[in-house]
Amino acid sequence: MPHNNTTKILIAGVGGQGIVYLSDILVEASLLAGIPTGVSEIHGLSQRGGTVTSSITFGKNSYGFIEEGGADFLIGLEPLEAIRCNNLLHGESVAVIDVKRIIPYAVNTGSVPYPDTGRFIEYLKENIRKVIRIKDDLPGIEPVMRNIIVLGVTASQKKFPVDSRFIDKIVGKISPEHLKYFRDAVNNPLTYSYFGKSKN
Amino acid sequence: MLKQTIDILTSYDKPKKVCIMGNVAVARAAIECRVDAVFSYPGTPSTEVSEVFNHVSEFQGKPAHKEKYPALTSYPVYFEYSVNEKIALEKAIACSIGGKSAMCVMKNVGMNVASDALMTITYQTIGAPLVLVVCDDPGCHSSSNEQDSRYWGPMASIPVFNPSSPLDACRMTKDAFVLSGKIKLPVMVRMTTRVSHTRGMTVYHSIPPPMSSHAFRFLPEHINIPARTGLAHKKLLSRLDDPLCRSMLKKYCVQSSKGKNEKMAVISSGVASVYFREISAQNNLSGKLRYMEAGMIHPIPENEIRKFLQNGCKKVLVLEELEPFIENAVRIVAQKYSLPCKIYGKNFSSLTVTGEYSLDIVRDSVEEFSGIRMLKNKKLPVLPDDLKNSVSPRPPVLCAGCPHRATFYLLKLLVPREQKEMILCGDIGCFGLGALPPLKMIDTIHHMGMSISMAQGLYEAMKSEGKEQKTVALVGDGTFFHSGISSLMNAVYTRANMLVVIFDNRTIGMTGHQDHPGAAHPPKYNELDIVSVVKGLGVKSVETINPFNLRESYQILKKAMLADGVSVVVAKAPCIFLTGLNLKKFARRKIVIDPERCNSCANHCDMSLSCSLPHTQRGNLVRAKMKIAAHTQIPAQEQLCPANICNHGFLNAIQTGDFKSAVEIVRDKMLFSKTCGDICHRPCELFATNHVSGIVPIRSLKKFVSSKNGNYRDFAHPIQRARSAKPNGKKIAIIGAGPAGLSAAYDLVQAGFQVIVYDKENKPGGMVTYAIPSFRMDKEAFIHEAGQLEKMGVTFHFKKVLGKEITLEELSGANDAVLLAIGLNRSKKLEIVDKNVPDNQKWDVLTFLKDFHLNRLSLHPGSAVLVIGGGNSAIDAARTVKKLSPMNIVLVSCIETSDAMPAFPEETGHALQEGILILHDSYVQKCTTGTDGKISIDLLSYGTKKMLSRFECDYVITAIGQESACAEFSPLDGQYLDENNRIIKQENGYTGYKNIFVAGDLCSGNHMSVIGAIAGGKMAATGIRKFLGNYSYDYEGKDGLERLNRSMPARQAETIIINGNLAEITDQYNLYQSCMKCNHCIENFGCPAMLRVNGKVQVDMDKCTLCGFCIDVCPNDAVRWEMEGM
Repeated sequence: MPHNNTTKILIAGVGGQGIVYLSDILVEASLLAGIPTGVSEIHGLSQRGGTVTSSITFGKNSYGFIEEGGADFLIGLEPLEAIRCNNLLHGESVAVIDVKRIIPYAVNTGSVPYPDTGRFIEYLKENIRKVIRIKDDLPGIEPVMRNIIVLGVTASQKKFPVDSRFIDKIVGKISPEHLKYFRDAVNNPLTYSYFGKSKN
Repeated sequence: MLKQTIDILTSYDKPKKVCIMGNVAVARAAIECRVDAVFSYPGTPSTEVSEVFNHVSEFQGKPAHKEKYPALTSYPVYFEYSVNEKIALEKAIACSIGGKSAMCVMKNVGMNVASDALMTITYQTIGAPLVLVVCDDPGCHSSSNEQDSRYWGPMASIPVFNPSSPLDACRMTKDAFVLSGKIKLPVMVRMTTRVSHTRGMTVYHSIPPPMSSHAFRFLPEHINIPARTGLAHKKLLSRLDDPLCRSMLKKYCVQSSKGKNEKMAVISSGVASVYFREISAQNNLSGKLRYMEAGMIHPIPENEIRKFLQNGCKKVLVLEELEPFIENAVRIVAQKYSLPCKIYGKNFSSLTVTGEYSLDIVRDSVEEFSGIRMLKNKKLPVLPDDLKNSVSPRPPVLCAGCPHRATFYLLKLLVPREQKEMILCGDIGCFGLGALPPLKMIDTIHHMGMSISMAQGLYEAMKSEGKEQKTVALVGDGTFFHSGISSLMNAVYTRANMLVVIFDNRTIGMTGHQDHPGAAHPPKYNELDIVSVVKGLGVKSVETINPFNLRESYQILKKAMLADGVSVVVAKAPCIFLTGLNLKKFARRKIVIDPERCNSCANHCDMSLSCSLPHTQRGNLVRAKMKIAAHTQIPAQEQLCPANICNHGFLNAIQTGDFKSAVEIVRDKMLFSKTCGDICHRPCELFATNHVSGIVPIRSLKKFVSSKNGNYRDFAHPIQRARSAKPNGKKIAIIGAGPAGLSAAYDLVQAGFQVIVYDKENKPGGMVTYAIPSFRMDKEAFIHEAGQLEKMGVTFHFKKVLGKEITLEELSGANDAVLLAIGLNRSKKLEIVDKNVPDNQKWDVLTFLKDFHLNRLSLHPGSAVLVIGGGNSAIDAARTVKKLSPMNIVLVSCIETSDAMPAFPEETGHALQEGILILHDSYVQKCTTGTDGKISIDLLSYGTKKMLSRFECDYVITAIGQESACAEFSPLDGQYLDENNRIIKQENGYTGYKNIFVAGDLCSGNHMSVIGAIAGGKMAATGIRKFLGNYSYDYEGKDGLERLNRSMPARQAETIIINGNLAEITDQYNLYQSCMKCNHCIENFGCPAMLRVNGKVQVDMDKCTLCGFCIDVCPNDAVRWEMEGM
C-alpha cells in the first residue's frame, strides 16, 4: 500500500447516527497522541436523514481525504451506506459493519429492494483482510450506544492508528457509560460482533 | 459549544496545536485580529463562521460570564444575523467607516445580494479593517449554483485570498485584516466547501489587546457623486498596487525551492493544493517538477507567475476547482511575456469546470500531464450487479414531526396535481424538500425570495394566454424577511392574484436554527409579527393556521385559495428541533399501528374475490382527504349492502373521478349496476340510522355512474373473469332466471362451476321483466345486464316449466346441486273482490303489470280504478293506470298508515303528483257490482273500523302480495314449507333436501325485493360452494341481508338527482373503512419514522417525535395513541 505512515478511516452512515461524534473523538484522541490528523465530512442535509460520511486521516502529508481504494478501516454504521463506500476499500482493509438497517424512502415504497447485506458481507470476506459484523441484537443496550461500541470493536483491531488508551481519555470526559461500553468493546469485541474469516 | 467558545476566546501565549474546521479557523483568526463586529446571513457552507460569533456574542452577553471570565468578556464582539446579505455588508461597511473593524460572512449566492454595496464602497473608503468571507460550493452540496466568487476580485477591484486548508484560512484571514486596514479596501477571503468543512491542524496564538480606534471621520470620500467617481476609480486601482499588497502576493504565491529548474510545472490553488501536496508526497514528486501554490489570487500575481515560468519551463498544469481563473491569468502572463510554455488546465484529463476535484482526479491528471507513473491502490473487484443496483440514493426528507409536512399535505389535499393547473412556486429553505417525492408539491425553485415574484409573473403570463388562474407562492419565514417581503409589496401594488403560504417554523431551519426578524430571541433582537407586517403591506386576507390542526386549516386554506387578489396564509408551527426531540421522554404515550386495519380489507374475508378498486395514490389521498374535509363521517358498515358491494370503494372511486371503476366495483358482486341504480330497495341508505347529517346516496350514484358514458354496457371484465376461471368439474342447475337465479349463476360461473339455467319464459329476467313498469326502470339496460351471463359461459334452457318439461328430482340427480329460484308467481287473492267482481273488471297486480308490459290492456279513458295494496307493486299498478290515460281516476287503498307504507316514499310521491289518491289506513268492507257494471265500494278505517268512503269504480286491481305454488310441482312439501308455502331454508339457502338450495322470493323470510333476491342468490351460491367443496367462507353479505330481512326502514332517505357538480354531493361524505389498496402514508407524506414491513406500516419509535399527524390522516384509522403501561 502506498501509505507507509498514513492511516485512513472512513465512517459512513446516516444523519443522526453519531458520525460526527465518532470523528470528534478520534480527532481529540489523536491530538492527545500527537498524531497529525485531518477530517473531511460530507453531510449536505444530514439532519434530514441523508447520507453522512466522515473521512479521517492520520499521519503527515494527509489532510482528511480518502482516494478510491484508500480506506484502511471502514466503520459502517449502516449496511447500505457501507456498500455505497465500497469503492474506497482495498485488499488489506478492515471493515466493521453494523447491520442494523435504516430503510431509505425508495425501499420503503417498494420500488427497489434493500441490498442483500449477507451477500455484501460475503463479498467483503472474499476481498478484504477482515470483516467484522456487529451483532444485530445487543440485549440491554440502548440503540444510541451502538456507535461507541462499533468504535470500540474497530479500535480493538491491529493497525488501528490511535491507541485505545488515548480514546479512553476522551470518551471518559464525555460520559462514564460511553466509556464503559467502549472499553468493553475494545477488550471483548466478540461480545458484540462476529469476526469474518480473513482471506489470508 | 461552551467549550469551543471559551477556547476560541482564549489567548494562548504558548501556541496551541488544534485540529479545527476551516470555518472555525477563519473565526479564530478574526478574534486574533480583535474584530469588533461581525455581520452575517447564514448559508451553507459559510454558517460555522457566523455560528462561532453567535455563540461568542451570547457568551459575552451573560452577566455571570462577565464575572467568571473577565478576560474573555472584556472586549465584546458585536454580532448579528442581518435580515439579508446586503444589509449585513452595508452594516459592516458602516461599522468600518465608524472606526470598528468588521467581518461580513456569507455563502456564494449571498454575495450576489450584497454586491451592490461592494461595487461602490471600493470607490470610496472604509475606516477600520473590513474582511469579507465568501464560501463557494463546488459540487453544489447545498447551493443553487456553482458560481466562482473569485471573480468578485477583478469585478470590484478588491484583494482576494484563497485558502487551501484550515491552516491557510487562519493565516490568510489575519493578513486580510492587516491588508484591509492598510489599503482601506474590503478584502475577501474566498473559501470553498472542502476548505470550510475540513478539519485540519492549525495553531491558536495569543490575542493582542485591541488597537485604539477612531470614530467617524467627516471625509469627502463618504459622499459618492458622479463628479468624483472617475478619479476615485484611478485611486482604487492604485491602492491594489500598494507595497503591502505586493508583498502579500509574494508571501502567498510561493514557489517550492526544489525542482525550480524543471521543464514541467504545476500551479495549484484552493483545496487542489492540498490534494497535490498529498499526491506529491506519496509519489516523491518533489524535485521532479516546478510547483507553486497560488494563495492570494487577486490582484493577479503576475510577477510570481512570470518568475515561476521563466527559464525553460515547457509546460504547466493548473489545478483549481471551478472556473479557469488562475489558468487564464497564466495564459495572460505567458502571452504578455512571450513565455514558450504550454498551458494545461480545464478540459485536460479529467479536470472540469463543474464539480469538486478529488485526490483521484488530481493524481490522474498529474500522471497524464507528467508521464510519471503514480502509485495507486488496487481496487476491489466490481460489486455484483444486484448489490450495486440496490444501493438506492438516500435523498434528504423533511424530518419526522416537521410541521411543513402537514402544510404540504394540506396543499396536497387542496391542489389537484393531475391537471397541473395551479402552479406552486417554491423557494429556498428546508421546506424546498417538498419538491421531492413523496410530497412533490413544488413546481419551481429558483434563488432566494423568488417565489413571490415568480407567482406574480406567472399569473400575468397566464392571464395573457387567457387562463386566469390563481398562482401559489410558498416561502419560508426566514426567506420572507430576507427578500420575499419586498416582492409581496410589489404583488399588492400590482394587483396580483395569488396565494402566499408562509411556512413559518419559527427559525431558519436549513442552516441550523438561526434567528430572523419573525422569530428572534429577546432581549438581543426585537421580534416582528409576520401577520402585522403582511397586513401593513396592504394584504387584506391574512390568516394564521396551525398546520397540525388539519380540519380547521383545510377550510381556511380552501377559503384563501378562492379569495380574489393577494391572500396570505401563515402556517405557523415550530421546527421540531425547537420543540425538543426529547418530548418523548416525558410523554407517557406512544403511537401504534393496528396491523388488522393497516392495508387490510374490511369488506372481504375471501381475498380471492375480485376487487376492482384500482390502487392509486390519488385514490388513497382522496380517502384521506375526506377524513379531513367531509362533514359527514360514516363508518362503511353502517351503509351495508346485502350483496356485499364495497360501498366504501364505490364512493372512493367516484370521488377520484373514476366512474368506470365504480361500476366495476358493483360488478365485482353482481350483474345489475344500472338496474339497481333504478330500482334497488337501497337498504344501504334506508338502514343507515346513526347519521342525522345525511347518508351517502348510493343508489343515485349507482345510477349516475352506470349511465355515464354507457358504462353499464361494458361487461368485458366480468366476462374475462368468468372465462379465465379454472373449471372445477361441478355442474349446477338453476331453476328460475330472475335476479336470484342469475346472481347465483354469476358468482358460480366465476368460481369455475358449469351452470345451466332453466326458465319457463323465453328470456332471462324473471318477474322484473314485466312486473316493474318501464317508467320506473331502464328495461333495455336490464335486458342487457341479464343477458351477459350467456357470454360468461352460462347455459340457458328457456320455456322449461318446472313440473312439466323438467322435474326437481331429475335435475337433482343429473347435477351436483340444484338451486330453486322460481319466485312467487301466484298473486294472493282478496276474497271479497274475487267473489263480487267479474273477471273482466279485476286483475291481480302481476297479471295487470304483465298485460301492460305485453301491451294487452285496453281500459276506457276516464275509467275509475281501485288499487288495493300498499307496496311498490300497488303504486306501480296505480301509476300504470294513469299512464294509460291521464283521464283515468285512480284510488289506492292500503291498510298501512302513510309512514308505514312499504312502497318507496318517492314512488308514492310520484303517484300523488300524478293525481293518484291514496287512502291510508283503509280496507274494503263491502264490494258489489251493479248491473251497469259499476263496482260499488265501502271503505272503512282499518284502525277504528269507521266508515271512510263509499264510491263507485270500473275496475279493481288487487296487489296484496304473492304466494308460492311450489307444493304443486315440488317434492318439497309439508315440513319444508312455512305458513305462506315458502320454502324454509337452512344455512346459506340449503333446503335440507338432497342437494337442493333455494333463493329469492321463494325462500322463507327472504326480503321481497330485487336486492333481497340478488343477495339470496349470492348466499345460495356460497352455500353450494361450501356444500360441494372446500370453500370455507360464509356468505360475506350476510349481515346486510339479515338486516334487510328483519328490519323496516327507520327513516326515509331522499333520492338525489345528480345532474350538477357531482363533487358537491360526494365531497360531503366520508364512507370509511380500512382498505387493502392503501399505503397512503408511505406514498403521500413520507414520514421517516414510518416503515413498511411485509405490507404493513410500522412506526420506528426511535425516530417518531409523537406529532400525531399520522393518526389524523390515516384513512384506515389504523394509527392510534397508546398510553404507556396499558
